[in-house]
Order: sequence, then C-alpha cells, then structure tokens
Amino acid sequence: MTVRWSALRSRAVGAFTGLRGAGWLRGPTLLGLLALVALVVVVLASRSRPVAQPVAFNHVKHTQDLELGCEFCHQNVNTGARAGLPNAETCSACHQEQQGNSAEAVRVTTLLAKGDPLRFNKLFRLADHVYFAHRRHVEIAKLECSQCHGAIATTRRPPSRPLTRVNMKFCLSCHQAKKQSVDCVACHR
Amino acid sequence: MPRWGMVIDLDRCTGCGACETACKSENNVATVSSDQADLGRATAWMRVMTEVEGEFPNTTMRFMPRPCMHCDNPPCVKVCPVAATYINDEGIVGQIYPRCIGCRYCANACPYTVKYFNWFAPEWPESERAHLNPDVSVRPKGVIEKCTFCHHRLQKAREDARAEGRELREADYQPACVDACPTGAIVFGDLDDPQHRVAELKHDARAMRLMEDLGTEPKVYYLTPRAGT
Ligand code: HEC
Ligand code: HEC
Ligand code: HEC
Ligand code: HEC
Ligand code: HEC
Repeated sequence: MTVRWSALRSRAVGAFTGLRGAGWLRGPTLLGLLALVALVVVVLASRSRPVAQPVAFNHVKHTQDLELGCEFCHQNVNTGARAGLPNAETCSACHQEQQGNSAEAVRVTTLLAKGDPLRFNKLFRLADHVYFAHRRHVEIAKLECSQCHGAIATTRRPPSRPLTRVNMKFCLSCHQAKKQSVDCVACHR
Repeated sequence: MPRWGMVIDLDRCTGCGACETACKSENNVATVSSDQADLGRATAWMRVMTEVEGEFPNTTMRFMPRPCMHCDNPPCVKVCPVAATYINDEGIVGQIYPRCIGCRYCANACPYTVKYFNWFAPEWPESERAHLNPDVSVRPKGVIEKCTFCHHRLQKAREDARAEGRELREADYQPACVDACPTGAIVFGDLDDPQHRVAELKHDARAMRLMEDLGTEPKVYYLTPRAGT
C-alpha cells in the first residue's frame, strides 16, 4: 500500500509539475496542490446549498395581482422575531378549489386534496447565535422587506438561493448609518 | 445608561439550588459525565457554594450562590487575545462564542473561576433535549461560556418596551435565577438608578463584594449574614 502510494504520488506530482528530477520540490508542491484542493472544497461548501420548495409558488401573482399582504402568509412578521412561512392550511383558504388553470395551480389543489402539508423551506437563514427580530425592524423601524430580502416580492418562482447576502457586515452597515446599536451582545446570544 | 448588577442576601439563601437549576435550563447548559465532573469539567453559570462553619456539633452550613461577577474592571477581558470577551456600555461582560478561539486565558485570569470551557460537544439527557431554550444558542465544543446576566432576556425586554413605546422597567428584565429564588434572596437591576432596589441595597451595612482588594470592581454584591444566624 505504502509503495503504491509513493509511486502514485511521484507520478502525479511529476506529471503535474514536470519536475521529475527536482525531488526537493515534490513535497512542497504536493502540499500546495492539496491546499488548492482544500481551498476549492471550502469555497464550494461555503456557498449555500440550493433550496428546493414543494410547489413553484408565485409571489407576483399573490401579492400584486391578488393584492394579498405579506402578513397573510408570513403571519408573525409584524409581531414576532420570525416571520414564519405558510403551510397547507394557509393555501387551502383558496386552493381547495381550482384557481386559474395553470398546471402548477392544478398541482397545488391535488396536493392539498391528498393532505400534503406543503412544507416550505427556509431560504434566508442566520446562525442561531444571532438574535434578529422582524418586529423590531418591520413594525418598529418601518423598514421595507426589500431592504433585506431584495426583489423577493417580484419573483414568479421560488429562488433557490437568498437574493441578498445577509451577514454581519450587512447588519452593521445599516446600524451604523442609522446610529443603532453595534454592541456585540445586542445581536449575539 | 444602566449599569446592571445583582445583590444576594446570604441571610435569605437556604441553599435550595433553585437558582442553579433554573440557570441551567434557561441557558442550555450541557451536562458532562460524573467522572468528567470530578475532573472539574462541569459547567454551572450559577453555582451554590457550600461551607461548613464551626466545630461539630456546633456547626452552621453557609451557602453562597456564585454567578459571574460582571466586574467593572474584568481581568478576563484584559487577557482575551481576540476580543471575544468584552464589557459593554451597560456593564455586562459578554462572551461572543463564534469569536472565541478557546485559548482559556480568560478562564485562568478570572479570580472567581466562573468561566467554563466546553471540553465536549454539548449533551443532554434524552428527556431534556426537546426543551432547549430557543432564545439562547447552544455553545459548540472548544469555546468558553459563562453567566450573561441572561442578556437574551434584555434583548426581548427592550424590544417589548420599544414596541409599547415606553421605558424599560425594573421588572421587565430579571435573570432566570432571580425569578426562581423562592426566598427573594437575589435582587437584580440598575445599580445607578435610585428607583431600583439594588441601588439602595448595595449601600446596606452588610454589603460586601468578593475579593474587593483585587480591584476587579464586581457588580455582584453580597449581604453578609447577621451575627447569630
Ligand atoms: C387569496 C386566495 C389565494 C391564496 C391564499 C393562495 N392562492 Fe395561490 N392562487 C390564487 C389564485 C386566484 C391563483 C390563480 C391566478 C391566475 O392564474 O391568474 C393562484 C395561483 C397559484 C399558483 C399558480 C401560479 C402560476 O404561476 O400560475 C400556485 C403555484 C399557487 N397559487 C400556490 C399557492 C400556495 C402554495 C399558496 C399558499 C402558500 C397559495 N397559492 C395561496 C389564489 C390564492
Ligand atoms: C400567498 C402567500 C404569500 C404571500 C401573500 C407572500 N408570501 Fe412570501 N413566501 C410564500 C411562500 C410559499 C414562500 C416560499 C416559496 C418561495 O420562496 O417562493 C415565501 C417566501 C418568502 C421569502 C423567503 C423566506 C425564507 O425562507 O427565507 C420572503 C423574504 C418572502 N416570502 C417575502 C414576502 C413579501 C415581502 C411579501 C409581501 C410583499 C410576501 N412574501 C407575501 C408565500 C407568500
Ligand atoms: C432588517 C432586515 C430584514 C427586514 C427589513 C425583513 N427581513 Fe425577513 N428576514 C431577515 C433575516 C435576517 C432573516 C433570517 C432570519 C433567521 O434565519 O433567523 C429573515 C427571514 C425571513 C423569512 C423566513 C422565515 C423566517 O421566519 O425566518 C420570511 C418569510 C421573511 N423574512 C419575510 C419578511 C417580510 C415579509 C418582510 C417585510 C414585511 C421582512 N422579512 C423584512 C431580515 C429582514
Ligand atoms: C447588528 C448585529 C450584530 C452586531 C452588533 C454584531 N454582530 Fe457578529 N454577527 C451578526 C450576524 C448577522 C452574523 C452572521 C451569522 C451568520 O453567518 O448566519 C454575525 C457573525 C459573527 C461572527 C462569526 C463570523 C463567521 O464567519 O461565522 C463573529 C465572530 C461575530 N459575529 C463577532 C461579533 C463581535 C465580536 C461583535 C462585537 C464587536 C459582533 N459580532 C457584533 C450580527 C451582529
Ligand atoms: C436597513 C437597516 C437595518 C438592517 C439591515 C438591520 N437593522 Fe437592526 N435595526 C435597525 C433599526 C433602525 C433598529 C432600531 C429599531 C428601533 O427603532 O427600535 C434596529 C435594531 C436592532 C436591534 C435592537 C438593538 C438594541 O438597541 O437593542 C437588533 C438586535 C438588531 N437590530 C439586529 C439586527 C441584525 C442581527 C441584523 C442583520 C441580520 C440587522 N439588525 C439588520 C435597522 C437595521
């Protein structure tokens, strides 16, 4: 096993660098190669995974054409820390009967009839060591959803990745601009 | 600007341990096996220290609940190489877990030994796992943790007060140990606000602080037992 590995290594490294003769370079080059692979893995892993949804929900249709308020489906957005996502119960109010005639709307009605719970998956997500409350920002500070969520209200299909990058820098840049708290324990817990 | 602090009346403390239990459950403090506890690796942000005083049979049991002292001049903050522990404008000594590198300098610098290292990934008995407090994050292996004066309760209390358009009141923000104490031995509030009980109690004739000579300026005061109790 060890013999094969070293043979493989010298061949791989040799092929990669074309430095068969320069034995002293092999170790460091292999290390460099491994570091490169590790970097690629880390970069790929740190990109968020695509988020899949049970049905192709259409925000434009519901919020603009039907003029539903955001809190119709995100029920705690004014009163709680978490906005909340809708479920089968919310959609049943209308989709128990066929709405429109698009294939996806037909599928929603079928799924509901089968008793599917329609579990939507979270898209924007903070680590649980951060305290963030919608009430403070939406109800009290009167910020627009789009300031943090981008153009989500004008999507016709569920985005598979967050439309904006919500991280500490993002929070702090607004807090600094608006002279709000930048104290670590205001946000961390 | 408030300056949060605590006064603990040792005459009222019966050593029941309610504060300790309430703290553990409020703050998702993990348990360790008993052999690891014997090695000093158990965590208790609030711990009731016990001591037997006198010679048998004329003995008295003394109790002293011991949280983080939230020193105004905290030795732990001075030694942290990455500013993961710091004191904020309101006197709370914070511990920012994602920033902590687990060097444990702070735990060694603390004269009150109230900073705890997570030697293991957090674990709870099966029956407790479903009851973790969502307002407090679970600390990973390899970081220091300690009493925060339940500052997550302050985050919420402040928000409630803001939503109702009023000032924060004394009763709005009380740590879990205070709520749990059946004899009212622990009092919490703003040490600088004459409306708060702690502001008066800290001037009581019985008031003292632990290791005051070190100049750490703790914000936890004790009311020493009266003679003959
Ligand atoms: C107030 C009533 C109402 C509620 C509540 C409602 N919908 Fe709809 N929905 C409609 C109507 C009406 C249409 C048809 C619009 C059209 O075709 O013009 C529709 C269309 C759709 C479509 C087809 C979209 C497209 O692009 O053609 C989908 C998918 C859908 N709804 C999913 C949902 C889901 C999932 C929920 C629950 C989170 C929900 N709806 C809640 C009224 C509602
Ligand atoms: C009829 C129900 C409904 C209404 C009304 C509605 N949404 Fe949604 N919203 C959903 C559903 C279902 C999802 C998950 C699928 C998706 O991303 O499209 C969602 C997802 C979101 C997300 C991403 C949530 C996450 O998991 O991070 C945001 C942000 C959002 N909506 C904002 C809004 C805003 C802003 C409005 C008002 C302008 C609004 N929504 C109105 C149903 C609704
Ligand atoms: C100041 C920034 C900010 C504003 C303004 C904001 N959000 Fe959010 N929202 C967030 C963050 C950050 C998260 C992720 C929270 C988490 O994972 O704890 C989130 C998560 C969500 C979610 C996912 C479900 C959940 O409860 O976590 C929905 C839905 C949502 N927001 C809807 C809205 C709507 C609707 C509005 C406007 C009425 C709005 N948000 C305004 C920052 C914001
Ligand atoms: C306005 C809110 C806010 C304040 C104030 C704040 N943070 Fe953060 N912090 C965040 C958010 C949001 C994240 C990102 C969490 C995530 O990645 O989901 C974060 C992440 C972090 C991380 C982890 C970074 C990583 O890459 O995982 C560290 C370390 C950190 N904060 C330290 C601090 C320190 C130290 C302070 C005080 C000087 C501070 N934070 C103040 C909101 C805040
Ligand atoms: C677009 C601006 C904006 C962004 C982005 C923003 N905030 Fe805020 N935040 C505010 C404002 C304004 C207030 C004060 C609200 C009020 O009037 O009480 C506030 C207040 C807070 C408070 C209460 C602070 C205190 O004094 O107790 C916390 C905690 C907080 N934000 C966390 C966050 C976190 C975490 C993020 C990032 C995920 C974030 N904020 C992003 C504008 C913002």
